Amino acid sequence: MYNGFILITFRALTHAQRGAKLLNARGCAASVVRPPQALLSNQCGYAVRLRESCADAAVKLLREAGMLEGRIYRKTGESGEEYEEMDSV
Amino acid sequence: MIYLDYAATSYKKPEAVYRAVESVLRRGASVGRGGYPASRFSAERVFACREEVRRLFSAPSEESVVFTCNATMALNMAIKGLLPSGGRAVISGFEHNAVVRPLKALERRGVSFAVAAAPPFDRDAQLEAFRHALSSGAALAVCTQVSNVYGCILPVEEIDALCAEKGVPLVIDASQSAGSVALDLSRLRAARFLCAPGHKGLYGPQGTGVLICRDAEAATLIEGGTGSDSRSYEQPAFLPDRFEAGTLNAAGIAGLGEGVRFINRLGTARILAHERALIGLAARELARIPGVRTFYGGEDAQAGVLSFTVGDVPCETAAERLAAGGIAVRAGLHCAPLAHQTGGTLETGTVRASVSAFSTESDVEALVIAVRALSRG
Repeated sequence: MYNGFILITFRALTHAQRGAKLLNARGCAASVVRPPQALLSNQCGYAVRLRESCADAAVKLLREAGMLEGRIYRKTGESGEEYEEMDSV
Repeated sequence: MIYLDYAATSYKKPEAVYRAVESVLRRGASVGRGGYPASRFSAERVFACREEVRRLFSAPSEESVVFTCNATMALNMAIKGLLPSGGRAVISGFEHNAVVRPLKALERRGVSFAVAAAPPFDRDAQLEAFRHALSSGAALAVCTQVSNVYGCILPVEEIDALCAEKGVPLVIDASQSAGSVALDLSRLRAARFLCAPGHKGLYGPQGTGVLICRDAEAATLIEGGTGSDSRSYEQPAFLPDRFEAGTLNAAGIAGLGEGVRFINRLGTARILAHERALIGLAARELARIPGVRTFYGGEDAQAGVLSFTVGDVPCETAAERLAAGGIAVRAGLHCAPLAHQTGGTLETGTVRASVSAFSTESDVEALVIAVRALSRG
């Protein structure tokens, strides 16, 4: 489902919505999703999903806006729950 | 019915408000708990409301907009969240019981409060009263922007500057001003919270309110599930979740969002000008009726609220007779005995007429005709 996409996690829904709003306004098509449980250390939260090709630009935008609060993951493997954490740009 | 009780709650609302409420009731699920389409549907509408409210008040961010069930809840959260045990608060003489009663309750914890009293419509005296009251030190100041009894506009920007000089945090009650009297939070320095109901000048449904927060540095009144940091037994420290425990009133908030969108499109200046013109008309015409006393400070000093008395006719009797003629107003002390004490109407109460963007000159004319008939006995 997430092949070619990355997930950027947030602590709260409103934070993810605000992040998605910024990214969409700057040309990085982003949507708010519930990430797999394994990616959430505190068992609840939301993520922004966007194409991996936008990853660098998205991280930069979020960091400059002071909104980069979570982690960035790329899906790997064939099963639904395998992700690797990406280094922040 | 000629509805002139918008200070109590808005009756006629923008059509989009009704549609939004029904839409979320029929298609939406809980916000911030699931990831399926119905949950996203509600979540998007709630976020849209945060955006509109942020824009209306120039709030720091969408996250700074916290939803409550009304302004009373927001004021309790702000006052009890900021005032320490044994602290002293300074309030205006026009505060509603939603401010005074929490402070009275806090007296059990050693809290005290001083009233910076000044006559209605005297902005200079009001500012001086605050200056004097703050000179003895305070842990918190609370001020309404518009009196729900007299409609007088208080100088909250100047009071904010005074509080900033003294290092006193300020809570602004925008219950009667939100949606008509402009307030730019980005220009204020001391204001920590702005509290407003969603169902009056913001044209949302009852059961909605906003608490706009400068930051999350206040104690919580309510703790519970937030859909975030769920593994932790501690209430989150970040906005808006810190102050939004439990399920949000998504349908109500969706409606509120449309109400605020209506205001943002029209502009508060246009709405206030309309309301002031109607109140000015009512005040002038009512004042011509023998025995009628109006509390009118002039167009610049007053928002869309007008109190009056009709000779020796008890105010509740006057309101009852007006209601029998199809005119809805409110009589009595308006949950603001302190305001009436300040204005000298505690023993009689007043009849209060209040307007909105949807009120018309015909509404005011009908009121005047009815009061004229009432005054003749």
